[in-house]
Amino acid sequence: MRSVVDFAPEDVILDRAAILGSQGIPEEAELTENFERIYGEAIELFKELTEPAGIICGISISGFEEVFRGEGLNEPSNPVEDIYRKSGYLSLFAVTLGAVLSEKVTELFDSGDYASGYMLDSVSSYAADKLSDLAARNLQLELTAKEPAESQWRVLSYSPGYCGWNMSGQKKLFEVLRPQEIGITLNESYLMSPIKSVSGVLIAGSGKIHEFVSSYHFCDTCRTKSCIERMRNL
Amino acid sequence: MELLEQISFNLQNGLDDVVAALTKDAIEKRIPPGEILSDGLIAGMSIVGEKFKNHDIFLPDVLLAARAMNGAMEMLKPLLIKEGIPIRGKVVIGSVKDDLHDIGKNLVAILIKGAGFEVIDLGNDVPAEKFISAAKEENAHVIGMSALLTTTMPVMKKVVDLAKDEGLYGKIRIIVGGAPVSKEYALEIGADAYSYDGANAVETVESFFPVNN
Ligand code: B12
Repeated sequence: MRSVVDFAPEDVILDRAAILGSQGIPEEAELTENFERIYGEAIELFKELTEPAGIICGISISGFEEVFRGEGLNEPSNPVEDIYRKSGYLSLFAVTLGAVLSEKVTELFDSGDYASGYMLDSVSSYAADKLSDLAARNLQLELTAKEPAESQWRVLSYSPGYCGWNMSGQKKLFEVLRPQEIGITLNESYLMSPIKSVSGVLIAGSGKIHEFVSSYHFCDTCRTKSCIERMRNL
Repeated sequence: MELLEQISFNLQNGLDDVVAALTKDAIEKRIPPGEILSDGLIAGMSIVGEKFKNHDIFLPDVLLAARAMNGAMEMLKPLLIKEGIPIRGKVVIGSVKDDLHDIGKNLVAILIKGAGFEVIDLGNDVPAEKFISAAKEENAHVIGMSALLTTTMPVMKKVVDLAKDEGLYGKIRIIVGGAPVSKEYALEIGADAYSYDGANAVETVESFFPVNN
């Protein structure tokens, strides 16, 4: 089942502490008046310009096996493979905040307003990441509503480029999901446009299936290590 | 407060219009442009850099100061050239072919420019050949390349290889950066340096230029 998801702009989560944290700013830091002004303006601009959209497509384990195999470039041993095989439900997904935000960021940089451009980009990056969490939460609510008795559903998103799933996996993913319908395209280097887009699979199952030890060799070069936080919040 | 001190002070507060007006005033008062640069603008930028390092201010504040610095530099540049005061060095920078993400690259370009270097920004989606031809045309001292994803990083090696073919290797410094890039990768492809962020990129580029060169 494939469907376009309508997110309302106000659904997009903007957590100040987390946004500032992503810029390396500790919560207790004292900020200048200039900083506060730029932050406030960026939040307003974001709310005005964001065009969140998503697309999801339920898929069987065997169907996903094919997508996941992709171009045959995944790490031979990786957590995603162990996790999806134990799942109760799988759904391909892609989400985007739209192109207008990035166009505005470029415009601000070009006009010399670097600080505002940087802040809007940073807010948008954070929000794009959270949009995939939102897609996961929505699916979790939906599954739980269908089977209230078994409300142990935990849904997490997994993306090519993370956890040993090679970025080239996006090729097959795009063939099946066809997110072009909501304006997301993929170039030959597997870069998506609009930039503020995320692709991957939503994996649903008990919390336990999502647990793994992040000691794979590729975990050393992972820049985010977000799996630790994700597992903690299960 | 003395005029140059005022320039430094207002630059620290990111007041670009005030810095521009004060710089104009200083030029009209015939203060040597080299002095306006060193005792006004660079003095202010150094304090901004210090405060940033100590986490007293954060990147947006630095970017406001950089904007003020760049505006004033536009006015000073022709005068500096006329007086034969050398520009610190020329850097050609871009995001590699297929890479459409350019915020990291933009930040690095702004900060390097803010440190007094001349920066030629080639934008994003820049093919390897373009880096080389621009570096030659501009007589650049440094090539800077940025990539967001590992899938676009091979272009960086191509640029290094082309620089070797064209006899530029060793003469021109090559610096790489971006989220998936690492020091090991820079070494592996034969680039001169890797920087993990804008402030570090400035320090690295500065280290390529011996004092007063
Ligand atoms: C925020 C983020 C996102 C955001 C926004 C993306 C964007 N940049 O606009 C969102 C959520 C949308 C996203 C999506 C994706 N992301 Co992402 N993302 C990040 C994250 C956390 C930060 C990147 C960032 O914007 N930083 C802020 C900017 C300002 O910094 P920067 O560009 O790195 O530039 C700084 C330095 O790198 C350096 N620098 C940059 N260029 C240059 C050049 C020179 C010459 C020098 C000296 C220095 C230098 O200085 C800059 C200023 O400090 C990184 C991980 C990380 N911590 O770096 C992953 C990361 C880049 N993403 C990754 C992946 C896989 C993806 C996706 C493919 C996932 C997916 N399947 O959906 C997509 C691809 C999006 C697309 N359009 O194709 C991977 C890439 C791995 C790889 N193998 O290449 C990373 C590294 C995470 C990881 N797994 O470790 N992402």
